[in-house]
Amino acid sequence: MHIAEGFLPPAQAAAWTAAAAPFVVHGVHSLTRAVRADPEAKLLLGASGAFCFVLSALKIPSVTGSSSHPTGVGLGAVLFRPPVMAALGTVTLLFQALLLAHGGLTTLGANVFSMAVVGPWVGYAAYRSVRALASRLPEQTSLGAGVFAAAFAASLSTYTVTSLQLALAFPDAAGGVAGAFVKFATVFSITQIPLSVVEGLVTVVIVRLLSTVGREQLLRLGVLRGGTAAGAVDGPGADASDETAGPHEPTSGPTSEPTSDGEAKA
Amino acid sequence: MLTIDAEAYRSPWRTVHPAVKGVLFGGLLVCALALPAWPGAALAGAVALAFGLGPARVPPRKLLRTGLGPLAFIATGAAALLVSVGGPDGPIAWDPQGAARAAELTGRASAAVVCQLLFAFTTPLADLLPRLSRAGLPPALVEVVALIYRMLFVALDTARRVGAAQAGRLGYANRRNRVRSLGALGAALFVRSYDRAARLQRGLECRGYTGALTVLVDDIPLRASALAAAAVPAVLVAAAALTLGAWT
Repeated sequence: MHIAEGFLPPAQAAAWTAAAAPFVVHGVHSLTRAVRADPEAKLLLGASGAFCFVLSALKIPSVTGSSSHPTGVGLGAVLFRPPVMAALGTVTLLFQALLLAHGGLTTLGANVFSMAVVGPWVGYAAYRSVRALASRLPEQTSLGAGVFAAAFAASLSTYTVTSLQLALAFPDAAGGVAGAFVKFATVFSITQIPLSVVEGLVTVVIVRLLSTVGREQLLRLGVLRGGTAAGAVDGPGADASDETAGPHEPTSGPTSEPTSDGEAKA
Repeated sequence: MLTIDAEAYRSPWRTVHPAVKGVLFGGLLVCALALPAWPGAALAGAVALAFGLGPARVPPRKLLRTGLGPLAFIATGAAALLVSVGGPDGPIAWDPQGAARAAELTGRASAAVVCQLLFAFTTPLADLLPRLSRAGLPPALVEVVALIYRMLFVALDTARRVGAAQAGRLGYANRRNRVRSLGALGAALFVRSYDRAARLQRGLECRGYTGALTVLVDDIPLRASALAAAAVPAVLVAAAALTLGAWT
């Protein structure tokens, strides 16, 4: 849910930009450090950013019949960690504003705060807690539950923060900020709550498929337990653990079918 | 290609320096936000449209189609201002000042969206991005941003082809299939993006890649007179709006 250009009063737009700035600066710092440590990371970060953009440009069906765009921030936070996601998310939102007219330039700060700061952190916190709680369960189950929680919580928190931003900008005549929050949250809940559930389900499918076909990348990113738990761009060390972690998962089977479904050059 | 970017490349204003277009549409955007919505935002929107549809020859139908998304958001958000909740008249009541507030917000935000869209419709991102590093952003970030921009069209194309192949196999025939297909699309996209990045890395290394991707940027001279001329419409709109506002 992107706040359109000109929707927020200038002072509030500036305040949200200031609130998002430290997170984005931290994200850019960790991105720069990652690129300096491993030059190969630059291209992978480029690929990750493009992936985030395309993911958020997909149309997913909502229960009410309308279709809407997923945020993709939950998956992004699990795959790339919230600090990197703050930087990648900001770039994605800038591109969305200039290439797709989703969101604005003066409202970029507010959108970054909800979609590249709060969403990823809440999603990541949900993911870590579910993974910790479900640590006794088989990896596929715990991963699926964690990823669903991440995508659902990230999408829902993004929507809540956006409603709050709108409520602070336009308090209700009688009910104040709380009343306005209820209004905006209700108006947008028609699309956003079913969307969060669908996004959670789609994200589970993505990660389940990736844990078979993209195992190497997930280990490298530290999403699967076989890999080292270090950052998004941990180099050759993570690759070495690939062999030791191999046999837990089937490398082919019914779950890999839909990927061949998606083959373009069939 | 994406509509906005394709139109930006075709725009007769592509040869105009991005800073000049930024001052023109940015100035009008500031007018739309800062001046009283009536007549300030209306004037700013009208002037921006006159420039966009006139000399910049932005196709009106494509502009409208692209603008529908943000306009739908504005309409939904403004509709919430029509009612008030928790007042003495019951849980949900008609707000007497709501219509005026909603109209003001709709006018202001629509004018701002028009200014933003017209800038995007006349300036390709590829002309804008290399200039970001001169604006003081860290070079590593600018390079990652430029890489994202270059890779995203290939990724979008991949997503479109995978989607078409899935639809051809009834992948979107019912809700269950839709979720499954979208998940498969996302996974395929991720694997292919990473694979493509690795291959690109190898290809670049074979050509002596040291970490810097240098591209040629069309050297457009930036004249102070052009910048000053671009600021004139915004100043005139502000003056006209304030005079009209004082009259009424």
